[in-house]
Amino acid sequence: MRRAILVGLVAISLSGSGTLAAAQPSPPPVTIEMLQAGLVAKSGSDTVYFAGNGHGIDAAAQATLTAQARWLLANPEVRARIEGHADERTPRDYALAIGERRANAVRDFLVLQGVPAAQLTTISWGKERPAVGGTSEMALALNRRVSTVLMR
Amino acid sequence: MQRRKIKFWAMILAVLLPTPAMAQPATVVAVPPLATPENVSTAAGDTGLLARYVADVIASDLRSSRELMPIGPENARVYSYPEATAPSFSQWRTTGAKVLVTGFVQARSDGRLTVACYLHDIPGAREIARKGFVVTPAEWRKAAHRCSDAVYARIAGRPGWFDTQIAYVAESGTRNDRVKRVAIMDSDGTSHRYLTAGDTTVLTPRLSPGGDRLAYVSYAGGQPHVRLIDLASNDDGPLLPGNAMSFAPRFSADGKRVLFTMAVAGNTDIYTANVDGTALQQLTRTTGADTAPSFSPDGSRIVFESDRSGSEQLYVMNADGSDPLRLSFGGARYASPEWSPDGEWIAFTRIAGSNLSIGVISPTGSGERILTQGVGDEGPSWSAGGRELLFQRSDAGGRIGLYVVSIDGGNPRKIATPQDGSDPDWSSGGAK
Repeated sequence: MRRAILVGLVAISLSGSGTLAAAQPSPPPVTIEMLQAGLVAKSGSDTVYFAGNGHGIDAAAQATLTAQARWLLANPEVRARIEGHADERTPRDYALAIGERRANAVRDFLVLQGVPAAQLTTISWGKERPAVGGTSEMALALNRRVSTVLMR
Repeated sequence: MQRRKIKFWAMILAVLLPTPAMAQPATVVAVPPLATPENVSTAAGDTGLLARYVADVIASDLRSSRELMPIGPENARVYSYPEATAPSFSQWRTTGAKVLVTGFVQARSDGRLTVACYLHDIPGAREIARKGFVVTPAEWRKAAHRCSDAVYARIAGRPGWFDTQIAYVAESGTRNDRVKRVAIMDSDGTSHRYLTAGDTTVLTPRLSPGGDRLAYVSYAGGQPHVRLIDLASNDDGPLLPGNAMSFAPRFSADGKRVLFTMAVAGNTDIYTANVDGTALQQLTRTTGADTAPSFSPDGSRIVFESDRSGSEQLYVMNADGSDPLRLSFGGARYASPEWSPDGEWIAFTRIAGSNLSIGVISPTGSGERILTQGVGDEGPSWSAGGRELLFQRSDAGGRIGLYVVSIDGGNPRKIATPQDGSDPDWSSGGAK
């Protein structure tokens, strides 16, 4: 039942039509990876980036998050975990604090766009889950981020 | 024979020649094998063999200090049991050593061992310290470390750290699939064991002053939160009920309270609670991120890190959270402070650009010194004597390990661990 709804929601979000996919014969199972791919396709990215030690949401991040908010509003059955990260040159404890602050800044932005707070949770990974290895300025910049991770 | 003599004199010269990092030459200590009144078989081997092993451990311990330079037990003169308490000083004067360590290992009728050690002033021809320990055969190494502590304390005038432990996070696996486990070992690298299974990310283990508990951060259940492990029973549980994010734990000097950071709606503040989670108290209330708190040894003040001014800086406040004062003004960012056991210094991580290094500053904000030139050095933890700092170093190749640096400077030395290591904490020891 839940899967059928999700399939329908994806169909809505991808096609914009109101056709219920559940009515069609033997639909392919919708995995969380497919949903995540749908979010990325519609929003441009599931990740936004931050400058220095900041948690301010710049224009590029606002555009991405506004699109993410639309997707989340269109898919109210899909929960999202907002995961905050710091770069590897941030000391351990402060990385946890700043990851938490970034995740909350993104959560607050999404809620202001109308996404129900109950649909979202936050977590700080500090510097425990770098997206990119190495410590070049580029690598550090790519790790100062918040990702919207869809959950079952 | 001739060659051995040359090697011997080269050693003495190496000790006497001044080096930039060594203000005073090290004291040469002769560490011949200990004696045994009777060679008795025990669960850990014959007492004659243990007598040699104990001397090996003492020499190895002393060699890792800057102030002492052991010679032996290899090639050292072997003495008889009665000589342990009454050495023939004329024989030892020719070695050039100033101090002699003797002792014995004796099997007791109850199955345990007596390990005794004596410290002698060779030029003065007199005994200057003695220690005796009754241990199970399996604990012979602990007795040896305690002998080392006694020798170091008598000569250097500060508590030794050889009978102490290091807790850290053992890391393995790839960047995308990192396995992190809390591990603990004796400070010479022996008695290594893992305290968590590796199925969940763990951070920042901190030993209690009595060495009976360990606080750490775990992602078990989702949110990172502070947990405590009872090291005798291995009982493991959260400090607080509920699922709030909490991290950066540290014990008070009496081991009864825990300082930590808790996040509420994205804002992190410093809190304290009893080790059973009761008497929770909020100590900071700023909108900035306040974290990494550490008590002064007398418990009256707390040093911590905050970005309330815009960037991370060090602050000192009273234990009740009153009168916070900014400590660091060095034109960089400062993090992860730890107050020294003698109260004289605060160690920190300094962030300049994207380089992290270790330094110290006095609690009044004067005398700032940078001790390491690494690019990714962080999280300093004091030795029991307050003369050395254990920290985590990430090298350019992405490897991460534990290092020790003297607060007098000099090159950091690596502490061997079975895997990569991070977030080290050195137990205070000495109290036993």
